[in-house]
Amino acid sequence: MPVISVQDLNYQVGEQKILSDISFDITQGEYVALVGPNGGGKTTLIKVLLGLITQNSGKIQILGSEKKRFKKCYKIGYVPQNVSLFDSNFPLSVYETVALGLASRKPWFSFLSPKDKEMIDIALQKASITHLKEKNLSQLSGGQRQRVMIARALVSRPEVLILDEPSTGVDIVSQQKFYQFLKSLNIDYKLTIIFITHDLGVIADDVTYVLSINQKLVFSGTAQEMLSCESATELYGIKSHVVGHHCSSHAS
Amino acid sequence: MFEIFEYEFMQRAFIVGISLSILTAILGSFIVLKRYAMLPDALSHIALLGVGIGLVTHTSPIYIPIIVAAVAGVAIEYLRYKKQLYSDAILSIFLSGALALAIILINLSDGFNASLFAYLFGSITAVSNEEMMLTVGFTIFGLLLLLGSYRKLLFVTLDEETAKASGIAVFGLNIMLVVLSAVTVALAMRIVGILLIGALMVLPISTALLYKENFLKSLVMATLFSLVSVIMGLLISFYLGLSSGAAIVLVALLFFITSLFLNW
Repeated sequence: MPVISVQDLNYQVGEQKILSDISFDITQGEYVALVGPNGGGKTTLIKVLLGLITQNSGKIQILGSEKKRFKKCYKIGYVPQNVSLFDSNFPLSVYETVALGLASRKPWFSFLSPKDKEMIDIALQKASITHLKEKNLSQLSGGQRQRVMIARALVSRPEVLILDEPSTGVDIVSQQKFYQFLKSLNIDYKLTIIFITHDLGVIADDVTYVLSINQKLVFSGTAQEMLSCESATELYGIKSHVVGHHCSSHAS
Repeated sequence: MFEIFEYEFMQRAFIVGISLSILTAILGSFIVLKRYAMLPDALSHIALLGVGIGLVTHTSPIYIPIIVAAVAGVAIEYLRYKKQLYSDAILSIFLSGALALAIILINLSDGFNASLFAYLFGSITAVSNEEMMLTVGFTIFGLLLLLGSYRKLLFVTLDEETAKASGIAVFGLNIMLVVLSAVTVALAMRIVGILLIGALMVLPISTALLYKENFLKSLVMATLFSLVSVIMGLLISFYLGLSSGAAIVLVALLFFITSLFLNW
C-alpha cells in the first residue's frame, strides 16, 4: 500500500493552473526527489499534501486515509524552506525547538512526560545534535539549524518526512554531508523522505524515485533514467511532453 | 513606609497592577515575537472608541471597551490570517479609524474632561472594586489559557505554516491570543492609560530578549521586569503625584536602557 497516493490532482488560482492532472504513488521507505523549474508547482504540491492548501479536484490518500479524513498529521514531518534564514532573535533553545514537534500530539494543560523527554532525546540523537541542546538557535550555523528543524520533525516519529529545498543557503560541502545524513535517516529508520531540490546531480546516486513537476507531472522514475532521457532537458525548457523508452515506462 | 496600603484605592491599584503586569508580560512576549508589536497600540485606541460609545450612550465604561476591543481584535486577525492582508497596514487602519470615531463620539458627548485624561494616561484612583474583581478573575482565566496552550502557542508564534501542517489549530490560537490581548488592554487602560499600555506589553519582553536566553527564561525575566516596573511605577505615582501609566512605563524604559548598555 502506498504511503502517499495522488490521483488526477488539479489546483488553480483564479484562471491560472498551478498543478494539472498529477498522479503518482509513493511507497514506504522511498527516497524521493521532487524536481522542476521555479514556478513549476513543487512547493504547491507539497502544501496540498500537507493540507496547507486545498486542491480543486483530485484524490489524495495519506497512509491509507483520504486526506480530508486524515487526522494524524504528526505522522507527516515537515521541514519548511529557508530554515537557515530563521529569525535569529527568537529566544529558543535547541531543546525547546525540538519539543515543539510534540505540540500537536499533546492535549491542553499537559507537560512533557518522561516518555516525551525520551522521544526528544532520541530525535536529538538521530539528528546528531545532542551536544547542541542547550544552545540557542541564534548561536547555530545554517546547517545546524537545518538539523534542528529535522529533529523537530522527527520527534513525533513520522512515517514520512517532507522537506522543501533543504539545501538552500548551504555550501556545496555541507550540502553533500546533509544529503548523506538524510539518506542515513531513510536507510536506518526506513523513513519515507520526499524533498524538493534543484541539485539532482548531487543526490542522483541515492534517490530511489524522482518526480519532475512543471505544472504537469513530466517524469517519474529513477534519477538515472531521468538524467539519461530527454525529459531533464525538456523539464527546464518550454515544452514538457515526455517521449523516450525509459521515461514512458514510468511517466503517468 | 506602609502607609500607602492604608488607602483602599492603593490596595486596589496594586492588586490590579500586579495582576495585569503578569498577564501583559506573557501576552506581550508572544505578540512581540510574532512581529505584532503594534497590536496593543491598535487595541488600546479601539478601546478608546469603546469609551466614546460609553460616554455617548451613558453605558458601562468598563464592559463596552472590552467588547469593542475584543470584536475588533477578531476582525483584525481574520483579515490578517484569512485574507492575508499586511498586518501593519490593518493595524494602522484600525488604529486611526477607531481614534477618529472615538474623537467624534467624545466631541458629541462633550466628554473632554478629567475622566478622559485618566483613560489616556492612567490613574491610580480610577480603579473601582468591580474592575478589581473583574481584572483578577480575568487574569486567572487568561493565565490558565496561556499555560494550557503554551507549547502550541509557541509553535504558532515561531512558524504558523509548520504548526498548521502538524495539525495545530493556528487560527483558533491566534484568535485566542488577540482576544486575550484586547480584553487585557481594555482592563489596563484605567491604570496604565490608553496611550501607554502598548509600551507595557512590549518593553518587558524587549528587555528580556537582550539577555539572549531561551524562551522560558525570557518569559520569566519579562514577567519580573513587568512586575517590578508596575510596583515601582505605582509607588512613584503615589509619592510624587504623577500619572501612574507614565511612571510605570518610564521605569520599564529604564530597565530596557540599562539592559541595553549591560548587553552592548
